[in-house]
Order: sequence, then C-alpha cells, then structure tokens
Amino acid sequence: MWTSDQRTRFDLEHRLLQQEGYSQFSIYHNQNDDTYYGFGVATTSSGRKYNLYLLIPNGFPYERPSLYVTDPSPLLMFDGKPLTVLGYSHNMHTLAPSNGYVQICHWRDDRWRASILLHKVFLKGLLWLEAYEQHLATGRPLAEFVPTMVGHNEQS
Amino acid sequence: MSNPDPQQQQMIRDAMKAIAERKQGRSKLVYNKDKRTIEAVSDNAQTARALNITAEDADMFGVATLSSQWLREHWADIRRNRIAHVRFNSWDDGDAFTQVDLGPQSASTIVPGLILFEDHNATPDDNELHIVLAKGLSSKSQANTFEAPDGFVFSLVGSRKIAGTEEPVEINLVEVQPALASRRAAILETDLLRDKSVLCIGLGTGGAHAAIELAKCGVGNFTLVDRDRLSVGNVVRHPGGISQVGRYKVNVLRDLIREKNPDARITAVPTEVTFASQDKIKELISHANVVICGTDNRPSKLLINKLCVDADIVAIYGGAFRRAYGGQVLRVRPRQSPCHECFVEAMPEESSNLEISTAADAAEIAYSDRPVAVEPGLSLDVLPIANMVAKLALLELVSGTDSSLKMLRRDFDAPWYLWLNRPEPGTQYAKWPPLSESSDEMTINRWYGIYFDREPGCPVCGGFFSVVASAHGLDLASLGTVPSAPAEIKKPWS
Repeated sequence: MWTSDQRTRFDLEHRLLQQEGYSQFSIYHNQNDDTYYGFGVATTSSGRKYNLYLLIPNGFPYERPSLYVTDPSPLLMFDGKPLTVLGYSHNMHTLAPSNGYVQICHWRDDRWRASILLHKVFLKGLLWLEAYEQHLATGRPLAEFVPTMVGHNEQS
Repeated sequence: MSNPDPQQQQMIRDAMKAIAERKQGRSKLVYNKDKRTIEAVSDNAQTARALNITAEDADMFGVATLSSQWLREHWADIRRNRIAHVRFNSWDDGDAFTQVDLGPQSASTIVPGLILFEDHNATPDDNELHIVLAKGLSSKSQANTFEAPDGFVFSLVGSRKIAGTEEPVEINLVEVQPALASRRAAILETDLLRDKSVLCIGLGTGGAHAAIELAKCGVGNFTLVDRDRLSVGNVVRHPGGISQVGRYKVNVLRDLIREKNPDARITAVPTEVTFASQDKIKELISHANVVICGTDNRPSKLLINKLCVDADIVAIYGGAFRRAYGGQVLRVRPRQSPCHECFVEAMPEESSNLEISTAADAAEIAYSDRPVAVEPGLSLDVLPIANMVAKLALLELVSGTDSSLKMLRRDFDAPWYLWLNRPEPGTQYAKWPPLSESSDEMTINRWYGIYFDREPGCPVCGGFFSVVASAHGLDLASLGTVPSAPAEIKKPWS
C-alpha cells in the first residue's frame, strides 16, 4: 500500500519531530491495518492539554493530512455551543468536522504542497489552540488572533 | 396574355433541362433587362442588356454528400445486392443531406436513402433519396464520380420524390481524410500526428478548446477525462452548445473532436482526478505521448504532476487567472524542466491564482461563513491560453521528428508562459504601460516565456530527502523507523 518513499518520509518526519523540539508529537505505525497517523498531547501557554490527531491519507505527502482535536470532545465555543456546528468556518479556521471532532485548518487543499513538513503542521495546530483559548477568553472570532493568507484560495 | 412562341418555349424547356442536369445545351437562359423577362437564346448568342443565367442561379435542388470510403467499404455488398440502404441528415429544410456515417452530429430530421444500380427497379418512397449508380464517367463533374474497388467507374445520380414529384439532388462524393490532410499539409506533417496520443484531463473552456485544436491538427488518439456535465452556464464559454446541456463533457468533446477529425480514436472517461482514482489515471498516462491538464484545482494538478513525472511523460498545465484577466501555461519535461511542485514552491502566489468559473468551484473552497465569488472570464480571454497549450502540446508531439515545426523549439524553450488580457486593478500588472506606448516594457496581449530553476529539494523531481536531511543534520541511513501505535491511543474513528 505504501511506497518505500512514503515509508522513508514517515521515518524522516518522526525523526524531525523529535529533533526539532516537537517530541510531544509522534508519527505512529499501526501494524494491524498498516496505517500511519500522527498523535500528541499539546499543552497551551495556559497549561491546558489537548489531544491532536493527524490523519495521514494514502496519497501523503501529495495529499493533505487532516488535523483533528480529539480531546476535549466536544470542543466548545465561547457561547457553550460545540465548535463543530460551524463546519467549514473562516472565522474559526476550521474545516469539515469528522465524527464530532473539530478539524483544524492548517493548510487548505489549494495551498498544500508535498514539501511541507509535519512539524509545521503541528506548529499550526499549537497556534490554533492558542487562538482558540483567546476566543474563549474574549468571545472574539479565532481569526482575529491568527493571520490569514490573502488571496482567493486562502489558507486558514 | 399573348400566345406563347412555341419555338421560344421549346428553347426555354431545353435550356432549363440543361441547367438542371448541368450540361451544355443548345440554348441558354438569359434575363432580358429591356423586356424584364427570362428568355432563351441560342447558346453562342451574344446578348446586349441581358444576363446569362447559370446553374447556380437556378440551383433549387439539394446536395447530398456521401463518403467514398463508405462506398468502397460496402462495395461488395452493394454489388451483390444491387441495392444498399443509407441514412442522411437533412439540413436546412432539405437543402443539404449529409450521410449520417460522416460525423457524430445529427440533424433533427433523418432521411432514408437507397443506393442502387441502374438496373434495379426499386420504386422510391416519398422523401426517400435515391442514388443511382450509372456506369460510366459523369459529364457533369468529378464530384459524383466513383471508382469502385473492382475498377468500374460509376456516375452517381440523385433524386428525391416529394409529394409524388421527383426532384434532382446533386451528389457530392467526398474523400474525408485526404481532404482534411491536404489543408494541414502545408504546415504540418500530419502523418506524424495520426498515431500520437494525447490525454486531456479537465475539459472546461480551455481544456476543451485545446483538445479540439489538436484534433484539427490531425492528432489521432485522444483520452478525455472530466467528471462534469455540461451546464447551461458553461455554454457561453465552452465549445459545447445549448443542445448538449446535461451530457458529460467527455462525451460532448468526443463528438466535437470527431466533427473535426472523423478518424480520431477517442476514449471518454467521465471520472474525477483524485487520489482515490490515481491508479486509473496512472494507467491512462502510461498510454499518452503528452498530457494536457486543464483542471482547476491544485490537488489534481499536483497529483497529475507526480504521476507524469514518475511516468516520464511531458505534461502541459494551462489556467486562467481570476476573471481571466490573464493566464499561464506551464510545460513540464520530467527532470529536465521545473515540475508543477517546483512551480508552487518557487511561485506560490502565481500558482494559486485560479479562475473561479462555476458555483461548484466556488463552493469547494468557500467557508460556511465566507462565500467565494464566482468570477468567470470571457471565452475570448481564455482562448489565448488554450491556444498556447495546444501549440506547446503540438511541439512536444513532433519533437524528435523532422517536422517543419522544429524551428519553433528555440522560441518555446521556457518552462512557464505568462499572458495578460488586461492590466487588472489590484494586481502587480495594474501599472503596465498601454500596449500602444510600450516598446520594451511588458504589456498586455503578448506572451512572455519565463525561466526559473528546478527546486533541488522538490519531493517529486528533486532530492527531497537528501536536501531535508542535510538541512537538519540528519543521516538518512540511520533515521530509524516510526514507533508502533501504542494500544492506549485509540483511533478516533474507524
């Protein structure tokens, strides 16, 4: 299923996560179904902890991986409603949720490229969580706390 | 009313018969401007203040076009049975009849026809076209003369019975491929293209137009890939017309290509280019000499790029900018020129500047709380880009041959081509000087070939692993492997 280049890429990504200061995250291989995924517990500046799960598709690195917050679940907004009700939201920098989990918009499909390394994806996840906590504190949209690329095919 | 002159009446009858049969008669018709009537005069008479009336003036009968090749292919049966059935599209209220087998387009009325030897005694039905094979050369023209495979020569004489009256129909025998080839022969060695295969992925306005242009050039094999059906909104830009709405674009294009190149072999694949369909796309790429990519989203372009580079097949990517204020064409010669992944790495803004031409395209990239405007451009602004795509594809198809087009390879050696239709406000091109005032500076309505280098660390065509490893001080040989999934981390969904 996976090519040797893909497996080498996973090895490289895992090693870079450990080496570049993101050792709270790892790439894992599930030998039962021969799938790969990324997982880690992110700690924000406030000390809160969140589980981030990186779903790695068969087409990786040419196909964009999806980053979900799997704990806490449901992830609530300032007004107490689940964030997932917004779906694909520019204001909250989220993509389509799956199974009740919020999907963080790290790179959109139209901005993704195969050379983006996964520690950059997790870094975006950490930034999103900081912005999320700012949203909880102020009630302001998350987009006010993270930059948005200008252009038609915006990156959240 | 005066008594008609019997001699004049006979001469008029003879002259009209001669005109109808397109034969030289003993008398001819003229329009006498003094008498303001038509009259017959002897054929060699010089008549002042009178206009000769020709067969074209009297042309009130239809023309039926029939394929010589079809006749040859069916000759054995026709000769044995002395008769053959053939169907014709009837155009313009019966002014023109075109053999159905000639092309894919159908008229709203189909007229049955019979081709029969002159000794056959079939009686024509009303409306039915009768084409009689009369032995011997036609005195009228070569257009209705048929040389049979057995060496006999026949004249084809057509007629059609309408409301009990038999009307002549002019028969026009055509040799399709030689006629098409002769029009291209001055520029192109069309034999070179007959066996070439082009895979066209994405049949929007640009992709469809490029495919049709290549068909006109004589490319003989097409594989067409697109998931969409033609919509009403497409019609103002797409070569497909309002009568084709609802059909898959691949099927619309198949018919349009056959209208231009009837012998083209065409495979229509109504599918979407996604990672799930990549095995199928990979298979299609392996049979192509050149791939044309006219898709309108980055993931599909990058997937096609990866598959084409791996297969060592040249790919040409064309796209319009928003509202088609301009556009760009990227030609990728695998591992010789920058690939599409190099392009997005080197020029992220340019590579993301895509036209949003349909509501479906907009919906795919819109957020629930932030819609994306549909901003299609005009067809006439997309066509320069499509023409460039077709031209670059053509040059690739004849590369390595002794084509007269080889001289163009020195002119089209850049990997990336830029075209601007207008100095769009808010873009880096807004301050370009007017076309009429510029001599050296860049202006609209000119092609610019632009050079840039391959990315050494490109994941598709470069040494990604060694470049990343080197940048991070890693030894690729001792990376280790990723850990096995711990039991406590449950998959959040199956």
